[in-house]
Amino acid sequence: MTCEEFERVLPELGSNHSIEQEEHLKSCSACSDLVSDLNAISKQGRLLRASEEPSPWVWNSIEVALRQEGLIREQPGILRVHPARLSWKLRWLVPAAAAGLIFFGVLLHERGGIPAHEAKQESPVGVVTADLQAEGMPREDMQLLNSVAARTPSMRDAYEQNLRAVNAYIHDAEQSAHNDPNDEVAQQYLRNAYEQKAMVYEMALDRSLQ
Amino acid sequence: MYRKQHIATVSVVMILIVAALAAAETTRKEMHFKVGRRANISIVNQYGPISVKPGVGKRVSVTATSYSGKVEIDQSKRGNRVSVVSHLLQGADADSGRVDYEVVVPMDANVTLHTATGPLHIEKLHGDLLLEGSTANVDVRDVSAGRVHVKTLNGPVTLTNVNDAYVEITSVSGDVSLHEVNGASVHVNSSSGKIHYDGEFGEGGQYSLTSHSGDIEAIAPSFASIEVVARSVQGRVDNDFILQPEHTSFVTRAGSAFAGTVGQAASSVNLLSFSGKIHLKKREQ
Amino acid sequence: MIERAKQGNAEAFEALYNLHKRRVYSLCLRMTANTAAAEDLTQEAFLQLFRKIGTFRGESAFSTWLHRMAVNVVLMQLRKKGLPVVPLEENIETEEESPRKELGGDDPRLAGSIDRMQLQRSIESLPPGYRMIFLLHDVEGYEHNEIAEMVGCSIGNSKSQLHKARMKLREILKTSRAEKATKP
Repeated sequence: MTCEEFERVLPELGSNHSIEQEEHLKSCSACSDLVSDLNAISKQGRLLRASEEPSPWVWNSIEVALRQEGLIREQPGILRVHPARLSWKLRWLVPAAAAGLIFFGVLLHERGGIPAHEAKQESPVGVVTADLQAEGMPREDMQLLNSVAARTPSMRDAYEQNLRAVNAYIHDAEQSAHNDPNDEVAQQYLRNAYEQKAMVYEMALDRSLQ
Repeated sequence: MYRKQHIATVSVVMILIVAALAAAETTRKEMHFKVGRRANISIVNQYGPISVKPGVGKRVSVTATSYSGKVEIDQSKRGNRVSVVSHLLQGADADSGRVDYEVVVPMDANVTLHTATGPLHIEKLHGDLLLEGSTANVDVRDVSAGRVHVKTLNGPVTLTNVNDAYVEITSVSGDVSLHEVNGASVHVNSSSGKIHYDGEFGEGGQYSLTSHSGDIEAIAPSFASIEVVARSVQGRVDNDFILQPEHTSFVTRAGSAFAGTVGQAASSVNLLSFSGKIHLKKREQ
Repeated sequence: MIERAKQGNAEAFEALYNLHKRRVYSLCLRMTANTAAAEDLTQEAFLQLFRKIGTFRGESAFSTWLHRMAVNVVLMQLRKKGLPVVPLEENIETEEESPRKELGGDDPRLAGSIDRMQLQRSIESLPPGYRMIFLLHDVEGYEHNEIAEMVGCSIGNSKSQLHKARMKLREILKTSRAEKATKP
């Protein structure tokens, strides 16, 4: 068997070689090296399998679309909070977290604060104070913690602890700003609190750290 | 007696076997890169220390020591950008996924370090530094003329002898200590971590040390030249300096807020906390 | 779980998504080498799947059905960009794409020295047609009959394309190694 003949049948070769092919491999170092290299490439390829994960907003977008198209139907007897608004917030909270939240703080300052009865509807941070669910954390935070737990379980507790600290900061800063919308220092607290929350989200979703 | 000797011998043999097994898994990888001016160096290492020091010439040297086969070191160089990543394989954890890095870079290099547990150490560089660690101990010293940006959840952060720099530190619950840190802008934002500053508030910069519940202690020399504002909504506020009053809309309140100037008021200093204590101390000469 | 998803159960949809998201995303990412594009394609693949889930009768494994959707979504994206996809005929390939035949060369073996990152970069530089087959077979572990069904080619063509993809990768990796060796 020549090298040309061997390479012609190579695409069809599995792990079992014919006697003729085995003989050729024993006698031809070039073809033997070729087979070895191709096997090594194939083997290394397997190690690349499925190690990355899409960010949480992908599922949120899918869920929103499914609900809008009526493909998700509420099961009878189950009370469910419509997640679209919260999912929307999570989706935009992450990529535009720092800029968006700080912008909100500036807007609050320029408008001289917002009336109390509007605060909970308009303020995205109103989610923190008005929308607490089981375990005292907003749904977005629970989703973030689940995401952290899925990738690095050992870090989940640290993130939970820090999220609680930051939520407490936001809560106090909101109250402070609400009590005196003209207080520049209170606005500064609020901006700082948002910056902290944005940083926690950014770090949690940083895929460079697996 | 014979039994004791036997136990001791078996113990020694076991220790040697374990040490040999551990050593067998330890892998040291050295990487060298040639770079130009102001190269960008990035190290991503979930578990394990990263230490960065300056070297001579335009070379970057990275020594990575791993302790198991559950982590691979990926490297790439594109133009003037060097990237080294510890890639964790299936089943890796904080022990098996640990990699120790020793990095030597040109003094003008910009360095970015990402870690979960760290610790991180950088010294004697002039470039821009970004350090991000979830629970990592961060130590930066003898750095000047660049940006220093630190983000941490609850790792303690220490900056020592950092001058002519833009400094920004965001920590949720990690304590922040600044010793002789001066620059055009020094901004520390903490939730529950304590903030300690011991320096001159020099260079006519803007200094902002703010926290939610972490205490803030600032120590400055008697010859400091600052315009200071300090307030804590619920915590106690103390001041060792005699302040010249200034025309400001800031409302002072004994025990919880003060404002005024010291000397020529070259630098501006804001010390703000929601419920932490604040103390502006005068350093004894 | 599939039956519950057919009835519109949100948790069932989410569970199916979580079960398969990594493989789908990984395929899209390696084909596009861009995280934003890969996420968009992942979203599109799952949406198409969930819209058609009522028609799934269990003729093939659910994962095969899903990955066929993902492959279609990726192929459509490539066609939109005007990039060549898997040729249906054996001999439709350009001079540059065709791997050089290197019989009798005396290069040292690659085996044992393939860096994962290097391989990843080399895969990114493969023509899209070769890349798709290599990812589906060697990375994701599909058999040629499944790949043929997903991509719409013959089993023989799938084997041939895979062989050419591996040969091309071998060529790229050897060139890269030779370049590194000559650098000061």
